[in-house]
Amino acid sequence: MMEREVLGVASPYAAPRTDVEATLARLWSAKLGVQPVGIHDDFFELGGDSLLAADLQLDIDTALGVEIPTWTLFLSPTIAELAEAVAEQAGAGRAAVGST
Amino acid sequence: MIDLADPLLYADGDPYAVWRSLRTHSPVHWQPVERPGSPPGLGFWAVTRYPEVDRVLGDHACFTSERGTLLNLLGKGDPAAGRQLAATDPPRHDRMRAPLQRAMGARSARAYAGQIRAGIKDLLRPGATGEPFDLAAAMGRLPLALIGPLLDLPAADWPDLARLTAMCAAEDDPDYQVGGGVADTLARGHRELFAYLADLVRHRARSPGDDLVSVLLGMRFEGARLPPGAVVSNCYSLLLGASVTLPHVPTAAVAELARTGRYADWAARPDLLACGVEEALRWSSPASHFMRHARCPVRLAGVPIAAGDAVVAWLGAANRDPTVFTDPDTFDVRRPPGRHLAFGSGRHYCIGAHLARATLRLVFTELFGTFESVTLLAEPVRVRSTFLAGIKRLPVVGTPAARAGAPC
Repeated sequence: MMEREVLGVASPYAAPRTDVEATLARLWSAKLGVQPVGIHDDFFELGGDSLLAADLQLDIDTALGVEIPTWTLFLSPTIAELAEAVAEQAGAGRAAVGST
Repeated sequence: MIDLADPLLYADGDPYAVWRSLRTHSPVHWQPVERPGSPPGLGFWAVTRYPEVDRVLGDHACFTSERGTLLNLLGKGDPAAGRQLAATDPPRHDRMRAPLQRAMGARSARAYAGQIRAGIKDLLRPGATGEPFDLAAAMGRLPLALIGPLLDLPAADWPDLARLTAMCAAEDDPDYQVGGGVADTLARGHRELFAYLADLVRHRARSPGDDLVSVLLGMRFEGARLPPGAVVSNCYSLLLGASVTLPHVPTAAVAELARTGRYADWAARPDLLACGVEEALRWSSPASHFMRHARCPVRLAGVPIAAGDAVVAWLGAANRDPTVFTDPDTFDVRRPPGRHLAFGSGRHYCIGAHLARATLRLVFTELFGTFESVTLLAEPVRVRSTFLAGIKRLPVVGTPAARAGAPC
């Protein structure tokens, strides 16, 4: 594991506030080999690349049981933004289930 | 001062004259690269003669593909190393390639000929009745007519994909840039394209079909399935390999035939179709270079290369080497085919070459069936890129062919 400080990430460290954010931070750490991961850190600044993002996508699908749109991770690559997308998607999922 | 890393050379300069001079005076030439922020000593060996280009591309024991194969990765490494076919060395490369090669081999362009021919007719339509049109823009729509059906991509997505692949392959060209410049264009193009492909891969994983994405997902490699990132990365490579290079073959050929008044000569000779297509490939060489890194100390044309040095093989230069091609700066449809390096050489030889050839034959057949002659209306405008050699604007007017006879 690499220490976050070594990478010179632009954003100050902010710890996860919710279970979803904590899960995402754990998945990111495992994929990127960096710790800790702050919720406003940019995936690509932490050493992520487009291939790792696609792999991570699958991990997120599996761990959280929701499929967030892929562009979220590529174009808004922070845990805070992802967690919001997860919440939206989970809401949409419940609505869909409720309607059947 | 020669600067082969300067994209402007290929847009406004005369790269053929530079390559000619290098082949003669310095066939293995150290090219320093000085860019804001680049480390001291950054540079590469430029290789411009046929035998050395052929060797660098094919000799994977001495030259690795795993540290970046395009100049825009010089000094940065390649995140796709070992995970994408083009960025993986044998023997791993061969194991990864075999199933894909089988799947692509089984998809003869003949199966898609109807679809592709319809696509070509459609893209020539703006000029088919003798109206002025931009042949380069028209041909820009060609590759997705081929790769679209292979990857089963919805036609509605093709224009966006064409734009994104151009951002990734010719990030230096202002026509393809987004606000923020070269680095932002490349980053944005990569992310949007990868996001698109990641969604596609996710969708195909759930409902596999007969397409190449599904083939990649179903592949077993070293005892396991490819991870999604590797599938996405190979889709990216296939898409880019097909979509940015293909249009430049007919565009460059027609530009030269029209300039020299020899369009009708070829158009009247359907028997020269196959060898003319090979000449068009040699002439245009749209993939201008590939980069390798020396694995160990090696000599090229007597010049010592240190382990770890970057070596850039200029395909377009090799394809104009006069020791291999007589009168190389003449477009000659009667030239005996078979030796050009436009598809590369060795184990990384273009995996889609047979599909590209078949498609190009259809393109020229349709072109000659549509126009009996073509006149240039303005000077061609070339792409500003060290990688992508080609024309991005080619205003022409064609004289509609008499369609009375049977199509050739």
